[in-house]
This record gives sequence, structure tokens and C-alpha cells, in this order.
Amino acid sequence: MRALVKDAIAIFSPQGFLDGNSANAYLTIDDIEATSLLKVDMVLVSLKKVIFFNRNGLDIFIKMFKKIRAKNHATVGFCDYDSKKFEAIMKFYKDEVNFSLFKSHEIASLFTSSFKNKSKTVLLFSEDKSQRAAMAIELHDNGHNPIMTQSQEEFWEKSANAVAYDFVISDTYLGQMGQKIATRVTGNAIIYSLSSYLDAEIGDTFNIVYHNNSLNVGFRLFIFDAYKVISMNVHALNFFSKLSSAAAEYNATICFAGLSFEKIPSSFKETMEDSGIMFFSQMDNILHDKELMADLGGSSSVVMKNKRNLKKLTVTELPRFIDATVLTIEMMTNSKAVKEAVQINEISIADKTDKIASSIGFYGEMDGMIILIFPKEIAKKSCELLIGEETDDIELILDSLSELVNIIGGKVKSLLLDQGISVNITLPRTYSDINDLLDMTFGRKGAQVDLAFDNDKFLFFLTR
Amino acid sequence: MIYLYFILLELKCIKLNLKADIKVITKNTIDGYIDKIPPSPKALKATLMFLDSGNLAKAAQIAQTDLALSGYLRGIVNNPLYGFKNEVKEIAQIFGILGLSGSQQAVYNYMMSLLSPSKWHLFKLNKSTFKTLQDNLSVKWKLILNHLEIDAKDITSAITLLPSSIIVAEALFCEHIEDVKLLKSVKALDYNTILKRLCNFDLFDICEAVANKWDMPSEISQIIQAASGVKPSADVKINLLGKWMHLLLFYELSQPLFIEAGLNDFIDFQIEYVGDIYEDFSTVMAIS
Repeated sequence: MRALVKDAIAIFSPQGFLDGNSANAYLTIDDIEATSLLKVDMVLVSLKKVIFFNRNGLDIFIKMFKKIRAKNHATVGFCDYDSKKFEAIMKFYKDEVNFSLFKSHEIASLFTSSFKNKSKTVLLFSEDKSQRAAMAIELHDNGHNPIMTQSQEEFWEKSANAVAYDFVISDTYLGQMGQKIATRVTGNAIIYSLSSYLDAEIGDTFNIVYHNNSLNVGFRLFIFDAYKVISMNVHALNFFSKLSSAAAEYNATICFAGLSFEKIPSSFKETMEDSGIMFFSQMDNILHDKELMADLGGSSSVVMKNKRNLKKLTVTELPRFIDATVLTIEMMTNSKAVKEAVQINEISIADKTDKIASSIGFYGEMDGMIILIFPKEIAKKSCELLIGEETDDIELILDSLSELVNIIGGKVKSLLLDQGISVNITLPRTYSDINDLLDMTFGRKGAQVDLAFDNDKFLFFLTR
Repeated sequence: MIYLYFILLELKCIKLNLKADIKVITKNTIDGYIDKIPPSPKALKATLMFLDSGNLAKAAQIAQTDLALSGYLRGIVNNPLYGFKNEVKEIAQIFGILGLSGSQQAVYNYMMSLLSPSKWHLFKLNKSTFKTLQDNLSVKWKLILNHLEIDAKDITSAITLLPSSIIVAEALFCEHIEDVKLLKSVKALDYNTILKRLCNFDLFDICEAVANKWDMPSEISQIIQAASGVKPSADVKINLLGKWMHLLLFYELSQPLFIEAGLNDFIDFQIEYVGDIYEDFSTVMAIS
């Protein structure tokens, strides 16, 4: 069984009965290996569809958790259970609960660096005082607004007014949390939270793939929230200097907010400034200054200075990209595509009304970016299979569009692999406003293919 | 230079459009599949007719003329599950051992095995493991019916139609394995839901069509529809049997052999649907 990965969380979803025999069958050596290689913040096992489990069944997954933690420091545990199941697990493991328990995977996502995390108001309760505090700190670090209740009665009283909170947390337990650097997105800026002493380990705990993907999909401002940093050594200094130099290639900016130099040599600051890193005493000095945000590249996607043209290999493989896109959308809409025009130029969108877009980058033996521009109606139709019903909820459509583009990216990857070309794909990005997309692609030439699905126009653009 | 590639690209795109006639699963695909299901062989029809009228001797006499059916029946009774020391060869004797309900159930199981593919691609199954699934379901269904104090041959036979949902999923999705893998890598969708969303027709509707084509009693189709877990029946008895069958299916699909075959998530387990019978189920199956 393979885990489904969404928003930096990998979830296994067994169904039915989970005992020592069956749990072993869910996880082959390959599955465990593949899971430990995932670049995720959490690996969870959902108990939503499990009607029976015993300790032997859970133990098999806990063994996997240990291997994963040893390899990539991710948070591990179980999710999607009711109070009865929570009590059973706590009873099975008593004082040796060294994994986490999240009542739902939505609650788990609050404790991770979700790409789409926004500030949420969270009511929480745990009978264990230290758990309450740990949860509140983690939530706060991830940019949420936790409200702790001190007693079961207070929790019941407050949770009765459920509309006042985005999330209500109970029956949740934080085991060893991941040591990954927390990440959150504010507008077009990405904020990483650092703490304590920074040394060579930062190379393991910083998700460089996520960072590179963010650069590839157009993010240009990266802020390190460094209020809790006590000190750093030369290895961390080198890490940040290299990160900044690499970001400069994309015309991106790296800032530090709240870093105290009391216990850090002043020469470190000079070295970091030389490599282009900027320092601010307060996070709000950056986030609340719209002009500064625009200058730094955090108000919208900024045009790349180094405009790159399509390479011969990319153009040669273009039919495979179109093939993957067309086949996927045909599968999702059960309709047939007709190619209407092909041109190589900057992207040209005749009518921008009622259109939404999505992009996904690929890198490896060839690199580039696929951009798809959908009339809302095709996007809705394409996403119906994933959503399960018709919807006008734009957030839901954009979310499903990301999944759709992920499928297309996966298909491209496998079609190229058939040709002996190995690529990786980035996180998808969606655009509810076509102008944002045009800002990002300004000056970039690429191959544009106009397609029609049952007379609805659809645009495919491949660029670098 | 880039324009040379552009021309090349145009040519390739034209080629692409010619081959882009991909096979998506539509209602026509399903109709085509149902059309291709052969009618049940004459000997089987006659055997079932005599079983239906309670004439075991005549049914055995007809079944004997179908060598494949006879072989299948001998395989069942001589399975270690039955624990006979000496090989039982005579079909009349076999029907006698199985009784009226058991004989009908065995013949229907044989019919389903005719529908199963010679080689499985989507699920890691083969003739033997599929038969194991059929046998396990049949034996445990009998335990359940004993617990519910139900002795009706059509209800006993209802379990035989359940594995046809797996056969249908294999037949419809085996040509789209990669597409389905990609789809499942971004969203936890089961085959039944994918099919329903693509054509508004699900695996259990197709099972019903198979049952109709093979003149199986309508009660069997109704129980199977309820056993999908997503279409509760208004008939209290049918609905109760549907719950037990849904839970039994997931009990079996949680066995290592079938998890490894990729069957655990082939349909969505409706845990709430079976919540009220779980305690009884665990008693019947001696789960502790």
C-alpha cells in the first residue's frame, strides 16, 4: 500500500480489520522504503475506515514510523479516529506513546507546514497540561491562533459555540514532533520558522526541495522568522549564504526577521549581508509595508530577470506533454480534445474573463513549466471526478485543479521516463486571476497549443 | 533553428491527434461489456432449474454431463474445509452433502468463475486465489445466515454474485491501470466511485445486469446492491443482509492474501453503515 500525499502529509488508509497479519500485508519493504524517501512533514495512518484494530496491528505501523523518523525526521502517527479508538490506543501504549495522534487529518495539517496554511483560530483541550502547552506552541509557531481551555467543562462550554473557531481540537496527542523547519505562506512570501541553535543539521531539517519548488513556481520572497534563534555556527552561516546566492539566480530575496546578534559574531552578519540576505528587527516591518513587500518581490510573482528559451529537447518532447495533458483531461471529462492552433511566442490569451490557470514545473534531465489555462466550466468539469459533484466553490475548484495538474505532471514524468528522460515535478500552483499568471510569464517565450474540448477553448503553454 | 523543431512539432501533433482516440470508460463501454457476457450454458440452466424445484437427483444427473462443472463441484467438496477422508466423486453424493442451498450456491459460484479472466492484471489474483475468495465468502456467509436463522437458498446464493464486482472492476479498468494509479496517487478514490463519477453507473449496477442476464433471482441483485454500502435498501431484511455482506466483504479483503492482491481499497468501506451489526459480527467470526 502506498501513502497518499497532500499538503506535505503522507496518509495510509487501510480499510476493515487491522491485526498483526493484515498490517504486515499493507506494508511491503518497498512501501516503507518509498515512504521514508518522501519529502513530507508527516506520515500518518488514517483509522477512519478501520473497524477493528489490535496492538499487533498498530505495532507494524509503529515499526515503520521508527524507520521513517530515523531517516527523515517527519512527524509520525495515527489520525481520523473517534474517542473510543483514541482511548484504546492510549490504553495499548500507556506511557510509551512516542508517536502522535490527531483526531482528524485536517487537525494534523494545522501542525505542519501546509502550503496553503492560513491563520486559523483553534480551540484546544487536553487533560495533560504539558500536551496543552505543546500544542499551543506548535500551533502558534505555524501561524495559528490557539485558544487553550484549562478544564473539560470550559472546553465543553466554549466548543458549544463551534462557529467561533475554525478548528476544535480534543483527543489529540503530540508525540515526538517532526524536526522539519515549519513553513507557511503569506501572500506571495514564504516564511520559515527557525529556533534554538543553528548548526550543520539545518541541511537536514530545511526542506530544500520545497524551497526550490517554491522558486520554480514563482515565489520570490523568503523570510526566516528567527526570533527564537539563540546562535548559529559557521556551518549554518555557510548554508544561508549558499541559499541566498542560489536564490539570487531567480531574483529572489531572503530576509531574516528578529535575529539577535548578541551571541552571534558580527562578522557573520556582514558575510550574510554580502551574500544578499537582508535583516529586519520585526516581521511586521516587512509584512505590513506594502511598498517594501513589492520591492522585495512578495506582493506578486515577479518576472524572472534571466528569461530562458525552450531547449531543443523540450520542444522535441512537446507532443508528449500535450499527449499527457489531453489524455488526462479527456479521462477526467469523458470528452474529446481537438487541437486548433500551435505557435511559439509569449503566451497570448484572447479573452481573460472566466478563466483560471494552473502551472507545474519539472526539472532534472530537462526543465520547464507547463501552464494550463481553463475556462471555469472546463475546470469545473475536469474536477468533478475528483470532487464528486458539481460545485461553484472557487477554492474547491482551484484545490482540485492542483490535483488534476499533479496527475498531468505525473503522466508527463512517466511518458518522459519511457523515453529515458528522468524528471521530477514541482508542487502545482493555481491562479484565480489570469493577470497574476501573465505577470509571472511576462517575457517568457514558449509553445502555446490551443485546444478545444467539446467546443470549450483550453490553452496549453510550455515554457522555461 | 527553433522553427525546424516547430515544424517537427506540428507533424508530431498531427500524429498525436490521430492516435488520441483513447478509450475512456463510458456507458457504451459498460453496455459493450455486458453484451459480451455469454448466456449461461444450457446444462447449467437446467441444473439450476432442477435445484430450484428441489429435485437434487435430476440436477445431479444434468450437472454430471458438464465436465468442467463436475470438476469444480468435486474440487469444493474435496477441499480440506469439508474434512472428508476419501475422495467424493459422484455429483449426486456431492449435491447430497451440500444440500439444496449449498448446491445452488456452488453452481452459481461456478458460473461466476466462468466470468473471471484467465489472467488478472489490475488485481494480483489468479484462478486459485479467486476461488479461495469465493469459498471463504460462501463458508462465512453460511455462518452468518445460521446466526440470523435464515434458511433460504436464494439468500444463500446471493454471496456468489459479490465477487463479480471484482471481476467487473478488473475488466473495465485493466486497460487504464496507469491512469487509475495516477488518479489514486492524488485522491483516495475507489473503483466504484471512479466508475460512478465517469458514467453514473457503478460496479454493483453491472453486477445486477450480470445477474439479470443469467436469470438469477431478483432478491440476489437487491442484496448485492445493498452490500455496496452506498445504496441502502428500503426493505429492512434486504438492508440487514446488505450490511452483513458489506462487513463480510471487508473482513475478507482485510486478509493478507487479498490485501496483497490490491483488493483492500477496491470499493469504499462504509464503516457507519455496518456500525450497528459489528458486535454481532465479531461474535459470529470469533474476533477478539
